[in-house]
Amino acid sequence: MAIVNLQNVTYKYPLTDSPALQNINLQVDEGEFVAIIGPNGAGKSTLCYTLAGFVPHFFKGELTGTVEVAGNESSQSTLHEWVLNVGLAFQNPFNQISGAKYTVFEELAFGLENIGVPRDEMRARVEGALELTGISDLADRSPYSLSGGQQQRVALASILVMQPKVLVLDEPTSQMDPIGTREVFGVIRKMAGQGMTVILVEHKVEWIAQFADRVIALKDGQILLDGSPPEVLTSPILEGSGFGISRYTSVARRAQELGLWKKDRLPVTLDEAVEGFSLALTLRHSLWSQRGALPSPTGGGEQPS
Amino acid sequence: MHERLSFFVKRDSPIHRLNPMTKVVLALSLVLIAFSSPWYWTPQAIFLLAIVPLSFIASVVKEYWNFFLKVILATVSVLFVMQALFLPGESRIIFEIFGLEVTELSAQLAFRNATRIAVMVSSFTILLLTTHPSELMSDLTRRGLPGQFAYVIIASLQIIPQMQAKAQTIISAQRSRGLDTQGSFFRRVGAIVPLVGPLVFGSLVEVEERAIAIEARGFTSTRKKTSLHDIPDSSLDRAIRWTLAILVVLSFALRLWLS
Repeated sequence: MAIVNLQNVTYKYPLTDSPALQNINLQVDEGEFVAIIGPNGAGKSTLCYTLAGFVPHFFKGELTGTVEVAGNESSQSTLHEWVLNVGLAFQNPFNQISGAKYTVFEELAFGLENIGVPRDEMRARVEGALELTGISDLADRSPYSLSGGQQQRVALASILVMQPKVLVLDEPTSQMDPIGTREVFGVIRKMAGQGMTVILVEHKVEWIAQFADRVIALKDGQILLDGSPPEVLTSPILEGSGFGISRYTSVARRAQELGLWKKDRLPVTLDEAVEGFSLALTLRHSLWSQRGALPSPTGGGEQPS
Repeated sequence: MHERLSFFVKRDSPIHRLNPMTKVVLALSLVLIAFSSPWYWTPQAIFLLAIVPLSFIASVVKEYWNFFLKVILATVSVLFVMQALFLPGESRIIFEIFGLEVTELSAQLAFRNATRIAVMVSSFTILLLTTHPSELMSDLTRRGLPGQFAYVIIASLQIIPQMQAKAQTIISAQRSRGLDTQGSFFRRVGAIVPLVGPLVFGSLVEVEERAIAIEARGFTSTRKKTSLHDIPDSSLDRAIRWTLAILVVLSFALRLWLS
């Protein structure tokens, strides 16, 4: 069942001529993990703000079409009711720290205090969110004394702790190292598994390929592609339009041009690439075997048993 | 980056355990009594019999006296000298300088006023040293202070050091691109211009993002807010507050009655 439902959504920021979003139709099911990719200025952040109710309640401007989450329509709702259903975390972690709290623990409790969660439940939820995002050891530190990556985890935890039905994340791992990114993707995947709907803007396509259920490519405020990660991420339409393309896809595409890639579908992740190239080597190897002239195996090609 | 962004020193003392409101009332009462009492020696007595023992009871001796010597003493000394010179007082002249007379009366009044200021600054210093800002604010919010108002106070306390750090980053960045921030007065003033833009516009963008971030966490929710920390308000607290209130009223009454 679709929990998020956007019908013909077009939006123009105040004092601008061209729309930031054009005719967006989007349905997302409960518990689905959807990744959004697109070049700069494609409208990714605007889409996040629209889903999270900040368009049109915070940014004025012209919104047409309907935005529905969990059966409520955003133009009929108020922002402070809307945020109970849709949580938003965005890129710059520094500006997401409330500034009203002196420890990470209190920082996470800030949102729960605002919506009137009783103290015992508040403590339990904060501890749960700290554990989930792997920052229990930072609970007593000042949020301002943390590194960018740590602050991003705090920002993510601060929204997770609110337990929204839909989680909207705008590049939540931009300041994290690869290990941090993997952990955060793991957390997001887990939340989706528990029924939380996740909509994530992200440039790191290799991670999307491994974790997301569905990918939407956005360009000039319009949905260009919408489908499964391998389908969208290897599409030739993305070439040269400013989209992030996995290096494995690029290498395989080049190999395909030279006739060295034998599979139908191009790879996005390392594992898929290895699999594809091993297949190519095996094919070549068996070809040579048939001719009876077996050269010595070259450059690290694996011999499948 | 430094962890300590407020005056607050974490200790376990009877003063720390008081309800924040009680400490606010205590600080205010000491100030009001020091200013309203009709007797000459009241401010001095408050300083010796309330402020000094409080600094010990609250176990902030080092922090308080450090601040006293560095800031309070210097300020009130200047105040004392200025007042002694300029306050009129028809009495025996102690000495004369540049045609200004320091008389017995003006010296006495200057001493009392300087002590009043010392009491005022000291009592609020002890309040801030012993009260965690977020506890103070959640207690005041619980008593009806609007949440937005409390947020502005607390956030400013934290954000000012952040702004300073950012200004420093911008200065370093501009200097690395050849901006000269040293030398003559005019050159220094000129060097401020390229700093103001990034700092001011950057801060405006930040304000927008921060507004979104706290809004996303239900800041304007109309539900009744709860608080993470339980802030005890004992019968002792209430007794102290009422006693102080009565003392303040008495002090004002005496002043009116005796004048």
